[in-house]
Amino acid sequence: MDKPNEGCGDSPAENIIEVRNLTKRFGTKLVLDGVSLAIEKGKTTVVIGPSGCGKTVLIKHFIALIRPSEGEVCFRGRRIDDLSERELSRVRTHFGYLFQEGALFDSMTVAENILFPIRQHHKKHPWRQADDLVKAKLAMVGLDGFQNYYPARLSGGQRKRVALARAIALNPEVILYDEPTTGLDPIRSDIINELILKLERELGVTTVVVTHDMKSAYKVADRIIMLHNGRVIADGNADYIRNHPHPVVQQFINGQVSEDDLAVLRMTGSAGAAQFLPRDFEE
Amino acid sequence: MIGTLGAKAIQDVVEAGHFGRFVWRAAVTSAHSSAVRRTYPLVWTQMNLIGVRSVPVIMITGAFVGMTLAVQAYDQLAGMGLEEYLGNLINISVVKELGPVLAAVMLAGRIGGALTAELGTMNVTEQIDAVRSMGTDPIRYLVAPRLLACLLLTPVLIIYADLMGIVGGALVSFLQFGINSRAYWDLSAYGVDFWDVGVGVVKGFFFGGAIAVISCYKGFTCREGAQGVGQACTEAFVMSFISILALDFALAVVSKNVYEIFWPLKSMIG
Repeated sequence: MDKPNEGCGDSPAENIIEVRNLTKRFGTKLVLDGVSLAIEKGKTTVVIGPSGCGKTVLIKHFIALIRPSEGEVCFRGRRIDDLSERELSRVRTHFGYLFQEGALFDSMTVAENILFPIRQHHKKHPWRQADDLVKAKLAMVGLDGFQNYYPARLSGGQRKRVALARAIALNPEVILYDEPTTGLDPIRSDIINELILKLERELGVTTVVVTHDMKSAYKVADRIIMLHNGRVIADGNADYIRNHPHPVVQQFINGQVSEDDLAVLRMTGSAGAAQFLPRDFEE
Repeated sequence: MIGTLGAKAIQDVVEAGHFGRFVWRAAVTSAHSSAVRRTYPLVWTQMNLIGVRSVPVIMITGAFVGMTLAVQAYDQLAGMGLEEYLGNLINISVVKELGPVLAAVMLAGRIGGALTAELGTMNVTEQIDAVRSMGTDPIRYLVAPRLLACLLLTPVLIIYADLMGIVGGALVSFLQFGINSRAYWDLSAYGVDFWDVGVGVVKGFFFGGAIAVISCYKGFTCREGAQGVGQACTEAFVMSFISILALDFALAVVSKNVYEIFWPLKSMIG
């Protein structure tokens, strides 16, 4: 890496990613409101929060897929949010990103998807080893034998596992998971959780998981951060979060609707009043 | 009211700025990619999708343009006893204007729609972000091969359209109107020179570039959902169509002035 930038240079060595006063607006909508946090090297950090609270926007800032309105993003003591796309290309090879729906290239086979980042960055890679490499990556996610399948033929869980195999193709230092268990049944969700733990254990990577699945969060997290209305409202290990006094944290982790939301539901009319259309179309 | 107009004007200026930056990056990256051997397979694939598969539709377009011109112009010329000049009129119209413009409009529909839909779908399913997240510039990987393929092949496709326009016009003139073929071709050769053909082909280069950058830009910036992709395709076609007509006008003015500058030299050499 190049020499540290001013501001990010004082970041402790154990913090691989650091964001400072991160604010993001889309038009007039404030999504992140002065978020400051550091991601520790080699640990699994889980970001939780209700849908639309800015979790995905936050981790997209970690690899500058989104640029901040204000604030700084640092990776290994170097500021990255002000780099050009060309300079970022090298930084991004240190990351693996699992997108919510996998984002596999649907015009390519599973093997071609996994080879894509390798072909882009290893110009003189010995191509005779390509098959072995794809086999090894797919074996890590338990999908060896699916090399010639197209993404359309895979189930949701398989697609995420192939996307994970692609995310680890360049042996990244950090893996970012965006809602890895969303849309999966409990068994397939647990397979993904086990894979997250396996990759952390075997590859020694730093892991950041964005989720609203508390079972998954408790299983994989060394540390849990809760976002609400674009701000960090809780930050600690699983026990700390379980016993956190903030009512929003308790409502979220227990899956309870708040009194305010209930009041709104009660005020907005009864279901009976909404059924003004007679069901005579069935006759 | 004034506030709304102002906000819309600012939005349009910002959009124009984004488009300008996109065009600049696409041009610089394509120029760089054209010298990199690793890009050639990607360009080759796009040349097949964009160029080879467009040949039938372009040839049909060209043939009908020539045939229609013959039918429309015959009565006018025959009324003055100049029916043998039909080939001259058809061929100059086809190679300078109608062949390039109508072929480009056809390509804007066929290629432009496909490019916008493909890149738009990649955009809304986060595949473009996936390309970026793996440290690859999506302009280099997705836009440059498509732009290079369009720049290289639109002039070639226009030559196909021109040829078929000439053949279509000649067939209708000979078979339907019984015009003497010798006089038809002699007068055509007298009226159409290499400059006219060259102007039409050079127009194809600009039209191809416009179709590619507009279609790719609309795909990269399309809104989410099936409706967003559909709207982006419509906008790409309309913008490409208007750009083709505007470029056609600008290039007609430029080519006329250039011709007037070099015309005396031609007579000196001839």
